[in-house]
Amino acid sequence: MERRLPQFFFALSMIVLALMLGAIWQAGSPTWKTYQQEFHRLEAVGEPNAAAKSDVVNAALVIRQDLLPGLQRVDRCTTCHLGAEDPTMKNAPQPFAFHANLAPHIPARFGCTVCHGGQGLATDKQNAHGKVPFWQEPLLPREYIRASCGRCHKEGEVPGVPELADGRRLFETQGCRGCHKLNGVGGTIGPDLTEEGAIRRFPEWLERHFLDPNAVSRNSPMPNFHFTKEQARALTFYMLSLTSEQMGTYYSSVRLIPSASYGRELFVEKNCIACHSIGGVGAKNGPDLGQAAKQHSPGWLDEQLVNPQLIYPGSTMPAYDLETNARKAIIAFMASATAEDAQSILAQRTKPLTPEDAAIEAGKQSFARFGCVGCHGLQLQGGVPNPNSQGGEVPSLLHASDDYTKEEVIKIIQNGKVPPVENTAKPAAPLYMPPWKSVLTDEDIHRIADYLWSLQKKKDAW
Amino acid sequence: MNPFREAWQSIVRRDPLSTDKGKSELVFLNVWLHIHPAKVKKENLKVKHTFYLGFITFFLFLILVTTGVALMVYYRPQSPQAYQDMKDLQFVVYLGTFLRNMHRWAAHGMVICVFLHMCRVFYTGSYKRPRQFNWVIGVVLFLLTLGLSFTGYLLPWDQLAFWAITVGTNIGSYAPLMGARIRELLLGGHTVGESALLRFYVLHVAVLPALITLFTMVHFWRMRKDGGLSRPVWKLDQDEPAQLVTIGAPATIAPLAAVPASQDKTYGLMEVVTGRPIFETVSMEEEEDAVFSYPYAFFREGIALLVTVATVMAVSLFWKAPLEELANPAKTPNPAKAPWYFLGLQELVSHSALLGGVIVPTLAVLALIAIPYIDSNPSRRPADRKWAIRAFTLFVVVNVVLIIVGTFFRGPGWAFVPPWVHIAGAE
Repeated sequence: MERRLPQFFFALSMIVLALMLGAIWQAGSPTWKTYQQEFHRLEAVGEPNAAAKSDVVNAALVIRQDLLPGLQRVDRCTTCHLGAEDPTMKNAPQPFAFHANLAPHIPARFGCTVCHGGQGLATDKQNAHGKVPFWQEPLLPREYIRASCGRCHKEGEVPGVPELADGRRLFETQGCRGCHKLNGVGGTIGPDLTEEGAIRRFPEWLERHFLDPNAVSRNSPMPNFHFTKEQARALTFYMLSLTSEQMGTYYSSVRLIPSASYGRELFVEKNCIACHSIGGVGAKNGPDLGQAAKQHSPGWLDEQLVNPQLIYPGSTMPAYDLETNARKAIIAFMASATAEDAQSILAQRTKPLTPEDAAIEAGKQSFARFGCVGCHGLQLQGGVPNPNSQGGEVPSLLHASDDYTKEEVIKIIQNGKVPPVENTAKPAAPLYMPPWKSVLTDEDIHRIADYLWSLQKKKDAW
Repeated sequence: MNPFREAWQSIVRRDPLSTDKGKSELVFLNVWLHIHPAKVKKENLKVKHTFYLGFITFFLFLILVTTGVALMVYYRPQSPQAYQDMKDLQFVVYLGTFLRNMHRWAAHGMVICVFLHMCRVFYTGSYKRPRQFNWVIGVVLFLLTLGLSFTGYLLPWDQLAFWAITVGTNIGSYAPLMGARIRELLLGGHTVGESALLRFYVLHVAVLPALITLFTMVHFWRMRKDGGLSRPVWKLDQDEPAQLVTIGAPATIAPLAAVPASQDKTYGLMEVVTGRPIFETVSMEEEEDAVFSYPYAFFREGIALLVTVATVMAVSLFWKAPLEELANPAKTPNPAKAPWYFLGLQELVSHSALLGGVIVPTLAVLALIAIPYIDSNPSRRPADRKWAIRAFTLFVVVNVVLIIVGTFFRGPGWAFVPPWVHIAGAE
């Protein structure tokens, strides 16, 4: 045994050496080097003489990266995607193809992953494309990439991506907030959607889910809203854009100039004409907005939209919780609007508003904005299935005055209500009325009650 | 004279290794080797006696220091840079993945080996007089190893790290009076965050390594002073009870020590001071058994080192150290689990926070420390210590079973889920 010890020691040393070589072999030549060499050969084709060709072919192989502190990212995609900014590579095969229509989103400022998804730090294909466990942003399929515009362009219209604005509008009008929280506002029945675009990015799943929630998530309490394919696509786009990731000021959408046409849409949606006139055409409860735009600076108007009571205490104008760009868009529209615009907006309305209707209109806005319509319906018709609740569905609100006084309804909105169950042996009904007093002001709640009462129908006499 | 030969001689300063004097001088003229005796008892080197578990633990520690220092070059203890640095190790640093794998697997290996070493020392009764306090130092080293592994667990700053440390430090906070305060001191806040990362980093790369080095030195020193490697149990039967002489004290008070008497030996002043013979070879029988450390001990240790390094390298070639998503305090995994060696503890906590999280583990550690003082049985023979062996075996089995249950049999909500049952929707 003792004589063999040195031999044994030597053999083990050889094994350790072999394992070292194994580690070196495993680290091997990374694939990005192969891609770069291939790219250099492609480039060399265009060179005029042999010396230049050999220079290009023998160029150093280096990892390229775009440092993007404003986006909290480091993207190394251009290590392989070398032709992204080279127009002569228009017809080159992937990963070398030229990226058309890139400006102004040049990789040096924006990188790649903020739009495309994927793992920017990675330097091999599978990891870089993010199709590995524990990477939450795999490469987005081609048809969904445009949804990423919404990660920076959080407000207003994004040129070429109507889906985002459509999705946002659907989200705010179909009552999604009734169950889902977004940026801190909304119900608690469904999952919080604030990070929906950052932590679960499965576009196909989302889209199928919008078409029929039960098809992909069994026993989901989410009602089937019978969205069209286009609506489901728009909502999917909007979901993919949702992230609380902090983008640096350079990327902030405040830099974008909001359009007057978006302002007009908001003007119609928020029903400004119910109180205001333009060029003398419209309601006379509030000041003429054509005049106001001439008299006041955009900054003053913006302040006024944020908090009407700040400048005119006691003003009856509600605070509409508009985002920065939405306010800018409305102000842009006010500056350009004419009496003819007001005429055409009025003409599209079904009935002219009386002054009393203004407050009710504000209640209707809140009813939609805070998501009541999600379960109770745009016409207060109810009818969303809610298994094992009494009646099996969310009640219609059209006959609330038969069973409750207005004060009782206000209490229910404030404190919420769990529907009585039909069968105590079965699990409780999935949908319930969440308490709203921490989200809505008393004023909002009273307005909503006023709105409900304005639509009450008396039951037919026996 | 040949200048090269002279230069070599100026370095080694010993006689050729072919001579006995050279073999001895190799040991006691060399600062790195002189912790060894010049001669060792051959039977004590048997693999089936110690399995070299203490050596392996020490070698794993050396691997961890080496790879750890290399990893420090690439690491920033900040959020989210720490996680990016893990990705850089994976994607950019040459052999970075391999380096991290080695560090990770050697760390787990060290926790396992230090525990197995403790078991070996118990089963061979090697903690008995005069080695009682070295056992206590061993328990401290075991706890320091757990501390090093635990602090290192947070550093990748991924979901696995974040939640394991959240759960692990929560278990600690169940201790009455002090628990919550210690947790706050450790984390630099009430939740795991940037300051926790920095504190764990400082503990992991400076404080705990320094402590474990100091305690290891004491551990080795005392072991050497207590006669080196312990005698295999099977040799105890053959060793004739030595005739003892007492030294170091007048007859009226208790003697400092009792040493084997020798017919042909004069005791020197140093031996009277230390109460121990300086040269250990006494009887003819022992003379046969004793061999020079070179080559007998050194080659065996070298082989243990190479086997350890080769095993860690081989494991690192084939299994990657885990790395999950970036730490996200808003997204709790279900179930959130502590590092595996604390899962027995977490399992206990799931039944009772105070009893399982505080009382039982505190008593267990105190009992471990007290073992050499409770166990007054002087015999090291297994036949004489059946109940001690049964009790310790029960302790080991309960530990292992709890860890296995916590690791493999607990699903969402800490419900009992066997590993072969797949829960839909659970990731």
